[in-house]
Amino acid sequence: MNLTLRVWRQKNAQEKGRLETYQAHDINENMSFLEMLDVVNEDLIKKGVEPIHFDHDCREGICGACSLVINGIPHGGKKGCTTCELRMRNFKDGDTITVEPFRAKAFPVVRDLMVDRSALDRVIQAGGFVSINTGGAPDANAIPIRKDIADQAMDFAACIGCGACVAACKNASAMLFVSAKVSHLSLLPQGKVEREQRVRKMVAQMDIEGFGNCTNYYECEAVCPKEISIKSIARMNREFMRALVK
Amino acid sequence: MLKHELLVVGGGLAGLAAAVEGKERGLDVALVSKLHPVRSHSGAAQGGINAVLDESENCHDDSPERHAYDTIMGSDFLADQDAVKIMCDEAPNVIIEMEHAGCPFSRTGDGRIARKAFGCTDYARTCFGGSKTGHHLLQTLFGQAVKYQLTMYTEWVVTRLVVSGGRCHGVVCFDIESGEFVPIAATATMFATGGSGQVYSTNTTNALTSTGLGISLAYRAGVPIKDLEFVQFHPTGLYPSSILVTESCRGEGGQLINNMGERFMKNYVSEKVMELGPRDIVARSVQTEINAGRGFDNAFVHLDLRHLGEKKILEQLPGIRKLCITYAGIDPVFKPIPVWPSQHYTMGGIDTNEKTETEIIGFYAAGECACVSVHGANRLGGNSLLETIVFGRIGGSAIADYVPNADAPVESKLADAVRQEQSRFNQLVKGSGKENPYRIRDELSFVMMEKVGIFRNKQDMAMACARIKELKDHFSHIRPIQTNKSFNYDFLWVTEIEGNLDAAQIIAESALAREESRGAHFRTDFPTRLDDSWLKHTICEYTPDGPKLDYKPVKLGIFEPEERKY
Repeated sequence: MNLTLRVWRQKNAQEKGRLETYQAHDINENMSFLEMLDVVNEDLIKKGVEPIHFDHDCREGICGACSLVINGIPHGGKKGCTTCELRMRNFKDGDTITVEPFRAKAFPVVRDLMVDRSALDRVIQAGGFVSINTGGAPDANAIPIRKDIADQAMDFAACIGCGACVAACKNASAMLFVSAKVSHLSLLPQGKVEREQRVRKMVAQMDIEGFGNCTNYYECEAVCPKEISIKSIARMNREFMRALVK
Repeated sequence: MLKHELLVVGGGLAGLAAAVEGKERGLDVALVSKLHPVRSHSGAAQGGINAVLDESENCHDDSPERHAYDTIMGSDFLADQDAVKIMCDEAPNVIIEMEHAGCPFSRTGDGRIARKAFGCTDYARTCFGGSKTGHHLLQTLFGQAVKYQLTMYTEWVVTRLVVSGGRCHGVVCFDIESGEFVPIAATATMFATGGSGQVYSTNTTNALTSTGLGISLAYRAGVPIKDLEFVQFHPTGLYPSSILVTESCRGEGGQLINNMGERFMKNYVSEKVMELGPRDIVARSVQTEINAGRGFDNAFVHLDLRHLGEKKILEQLPGIRKLCITYAGIDPVFKPIPVWPSQHYTMGGIDTNEKTETEIIGFYAAGECACVSVHGANRLGGNSLLETIVFGRIGGSAIADYVPNADAPVESKLADAVRQEQSRFNQLVKGSGKENPYRIRDELSFVMMEKVGIFRNKQDMAMACARIKELKDHFSHIRPIQTNKSFNYDFLWVTEIEGNLDAAQIIAESALAREESRGAHFRTDFPTRLDDSWLKHTICEYTPDGPKLDYKPVKLGIFEPEERKY
């Protein structure tokens, strides 16, 4: 199939960007969206045009590197898929596709379709871990955890840190990302010890980074490639209230 | 100049484990990674991590010794037994530490860490977190690393290891965003740079990032490379994308079927073992079926899960089901999965001892880029995640012992190296010919797959060695690279391709010299294991005229070599 692409090009965070139009020829419907961009880039390189820069690595939906907004939807709108899992068979010959980076105040554009997502790291650094060292001792045993609780924690821990939730939200909120980590750790006994300070610090850092608040648009849940439930946000709000009254 | 006591290169599990250990021991640690750590390929590991836990269900007589025995038997007796013992003894501690740090493991009905059966053992000792074990471990260790406010230089690519006078002084990095070469001086440098799967880029389960550049940089700096001819082919890569279909499918009861509807593994191993034989034997069996015309489209066989039923597939293998639907357009509940053997793991690597030390003072290596060796000639499923954390930590600890009495790195050596890298860049920009580097990469992968793949022989490998030399010659005449400094991926790929050529040459030359069959190295012209002459590690060193091969003994001492039978 042949496609017309409108691609966001931007030299760096300071300079203004613009949409450029490119043609993609002879695209196989079994290609992933990223392979399609590879084909376009090969063509651009041959023409002496700087290739389109985009983040990518594993191409099997687990590394969380790919970060494209396709026709206005982060990761392209296929349920439970990252951009690299999106196949070209979801498009039609002759389609015009707009490709933009994940946009948020807290995600400055690095170049073209690449954004700086280190704000998410700083939120984790504020408390998204277990700091009580209970391991290592020779007589330490595994902690028994009820299977249903462990399964729930694991669903929240599926987050790959791609940031699609932020890009999809009108408020550029990182609530789904933060609440997934808070929910995962507060469900487990080993994470309960620090639950109050964790949620307080992570929420504070989230505000410092310039992420917005949640006003229940549910867009984050719709685009999350790991299908993390928005229930995590409700859970985090409860954790936060609990921490405030303690 | 940037300067640290411990500089870890690579942000996957081994690198993070070393960095966390270094931090816990009070070192000034920094981590350089060409990807953000959580994007590392460790995160793609699906299956699990092996450990004998005390309360093992139905496995009361399992023990770390049995784990070691299975590992050594699986390795076709090429593994160093002291290192295997350390790994298996440490395994339960690793699981408990990771669990206490918040890593979610799948649980049994009564709340204990669940275990499943992987290949080559009678015991269920593979702990797992759904089908995302690597992801959960990586996120957990990343949390630990940021907890210690680890200094990270991400999206910086190390392009040179600086060694002089038998000592390592640090590295030169290329900062992708700024396009500058940046030296980092380090008292101790640890490589945890991953495997070299992209040498087989046409058919590998590895991510684009696993190019083997770290192995090549160490080799160029004079560090010996061990046993690189042992390349693991996973029996079940999804056809044709080669995305990994985890061994758990067979652990749950998945069957390999040829085009005659026959469950063919019974012709290769005992009825008791069937699909859960060692990866090298199962991969060869699958390839034999395909070569004999009993595959589908002469390219793949079927992995059939249908008899497990929808409930079990949805509960136990949801990730695999989704992957098959997304990438192959088939639902394994209703249709068998098309699979073929795909390059999966690099057993060999930078030669280290059981403390991750190399021959170069101040230079260490751990994880897939290193060869301790715990996997010998064939790695068992569930042992690679284990190796990364065990030896990452041991490395961090060995470095903490080394640093207080070590000499400071010599900064002038790094300044010289930066100038050399700058001049290499300038040479590449000027260009000296017309060869297309990407065509060299494609052809290299094709040659390696065809001639140094699952079945090997003298004639094929000699041709491969000659062709690699020609490709190296072509590489010295490539077209000019892109001139921009910032985001110059052309330069980075050319650097990676040069590394691919080195790694391929070491693999091919080492494999050609080894005139026996052992584990994943199978020669049709020497089909048996020959302990009298070949129970030894290949050691490959760089010379300007090409690789120089030598050998060193395998550390035995616990289990006597015996015939490997399944």
